[in-house]
Amino acid sequence: MTTVVADPAVRDWRQTLVDRPAVALSGVLLLLYVVTGLVAPGMFTPNGVRSTLLLACPLAILAASQTLCMLTGGIDLSTVMTANFAAYVAANQSGQGPLAALSLALLVGLAVGTVNGVGVGVFKVNPLIMTLGMASVLLGVVTVGLVGDGFLSGSTRLLPVLRTVASGTLFGPVPNNVLVWALVAAVLIFGLSRTGLGRAVYAVGDNPIACRLAGVRIWQVLLAVYVLSALLAALGGLLFSGISGSVGPDQTNAYLLPSVAAAVIGGTSILGGVGGYTGTILGALILTVLNRLLLTLDTTEAFRQILYGLIVLALAWVYVRLTGQRGA
Amino acid sequence: MTATPRAEVATPLPRPTGRLERFARRQGWVVGVAVLLGALILWRSSQIPAFGAFEVRGIVAGTMTLALLAMAQTVIVISGGIDLSVGAMMVLTNCIAARLMLDQDLGPVVLVALLVVAVAMVLSGIIGAVAVVSGVPDIVVTLAASFILAGLALIVLDGPGGGTNPRFQELLVGGFDQPLPAALWLAGIFLLVWVPFKRSRLGIATYAVGSDRAAAFLSGLNVGRTRIAAYVMGGLFSGLAGLVTTAFTGSGEPRASIGATATLTSVAAVVLGGVALMGGSGTLLGPVLAAFCLALIAPLMLGLGWDPNYAEVARGVIIIVVVMIGGLLQVPRRAR
Repeated sequence: MTTVVADPAVRDWRQTLVDRPAVALSGVLLLLYVVTGLVAPGMFTPNGVRSTLLLACPLAILAASQTLCMLTGGIDLSTVMTANFAAYVAANQSGQGPLAALSLALLVGLAVGTVNGVGVGVFKVNPLIMTLGMASVLLGVVTVGLVGDGFLSGSTRLLPVLRTVASGTLFGPVPNNVLVWALVAAVLIFGLSRTGLGRAVYAVGDNPIACRLAGVRIWQVLLAVYVLSALLAALGGLLFSGISGSVGPDQTNAYLLPSVAAAVIGGTSILGGVGGYTGTILGALILTVLNRLLLTLDTTEAFRQILYGLIVLALAWVYVRLTGQRGA
Repeated sequence: MTATPRAEVATPLPRPTGRLERFARRQGWVVGVAVLLGALILWRSSQIPAFGAFEVRGIVAGTMTLALLAMAQTVIVISGGIDLSVGAMMVLTNCIAARLMLDQDLGPVVLVALLVVAVAMVLSGIIGAVAVVSGVPDIVVTLAASFILAGLALIVLDGPGGGTNPRFQELLVGGFDQPLPAALWLAGIFLLVWVPFKRSRLGIATYAVGSDRAAAFLSGLNVGRTRIAAYVMGGLFSGLAGLVTTAFTGSGEPRASIGATATLTSVAAVVLGGVALMGGSGTLLGPVLAAFCLALIAPLMLGLGWDPNYAEVARGVIIIVVVMIGGLLQVPRRAR
């Protein structure tokens, strides 16, 4: 008779990858960066590092929304429309001074998040549908607001403070907006691992029934998550408008799927309960560098899309293999 | 806990449900959507002086694509999945068809049509197989697939272009005031594809797998194969949607955003049509009627003299409100 013994070395290697996806992802990021640098030598200059960080920042902030929602087993498809709307409001109200304009923009996020959270938490609407409907509403509101004498038409002067924050340089190759990003990251990473709400987020995503039986008020957790998600989305929209130097009704829409992809690459499960923001940060950086590599290689848009899809699929497959967490 | 003697309670026998009650429970939602659609059509017809064949054709042929995509989404949702790539599949088949059909006679065009639908079925089957084999959630697999399909569409056509045979257009979506072909096609697909499918072993298996995968597996069903079959059926419908787009617009358009919007609307139609996103319940008729309701909102607003852009807001609000009501109705059943 033979006994099957799991090879401890293999087991440990896999377990490390599952527990600390950041290690493997850092390796992937480093490798990708070096490969890109070989094709585009500009990547090794301070300017190359700076542009990578600059472009990764709004994506990482929007992906933070997605990470939070996915940890509870949900998803937020309204983030990019919230981002666009918030950026518009800030630009439109820029005459009233930066404080009022920014508060109004964040108020948009607060309102959107509250409605989403009430729908998902209290009325038990499927998050996909709830945020999809919300995206539809926001798209309509922005479009109507821009037509003729709509409430968004007229002066759309970007706030100078946004321009400074989003594209100014802190020191060396580090742009200012990395400061905002670092703050968000610190709050999220600390909050998710060390606070009651953070642990409840994981618990709700892992097993909502057990949570309910343990006395967790699930609706409050979900409300908090969707409000935070929409606030982060508004922040991401403001940062993006600072980088692009403009506002547009659909300017961040191309970020929706990449933001989900960044979270998936970072090891956050769409089924909830597994993952964290550290991985998402690396996911956003990987996607940014990959985009740069593909652009440098002078690939067609078609090829980039296909490769993008294949990479997301392959990484998700690897994660499922490693964690053994299969679709229900 | 103190041991109290159990009171003698005779458990009442479950009362047999009447035909009407059963019908109301099973089809109530669909009937509701049908009434809503009727009301919307009446409203629309009162808005324009002469509501004739031209308007009917515009509504039917214009909504056919969306109705077919709603069908594709419905089958996959019933089987317990969700497909975020139906829109991209429609765009891809539209591009293939428009490219191959340009300046062809009717015969080759029909052959191309069959080929295109077959390609859609195979691709969708592959997507389903990847979801089944990998164990990655359907939503992630189909999200990634939507990128891949959109990229393939750009390879087939790198910009708006292509064309088709005018006879083929007339055959599929009718002339300017001929609503019959489109309506007949929809009814035909429903009666000749869906009804036999639903009554077949595979159809029943699809409902069973969507309702409870573990129970279906324990009853001896091949869960993986059933799920893949649902994706193949979905591919059939989204391939047809691509053909209808080709016939309706007379060209191909590889823009990815068209596919993304269409996908989201198809999910909305499924939810409004009374199909539970959990899978295992619902009919094909509800989402098709819901697709027509959604498509009527913009012309209605135009008729009211409102900015048709409000249609987007109305669509979102309707989806949210309807789903919230649905959620409220379910709360007591879940006994919380």
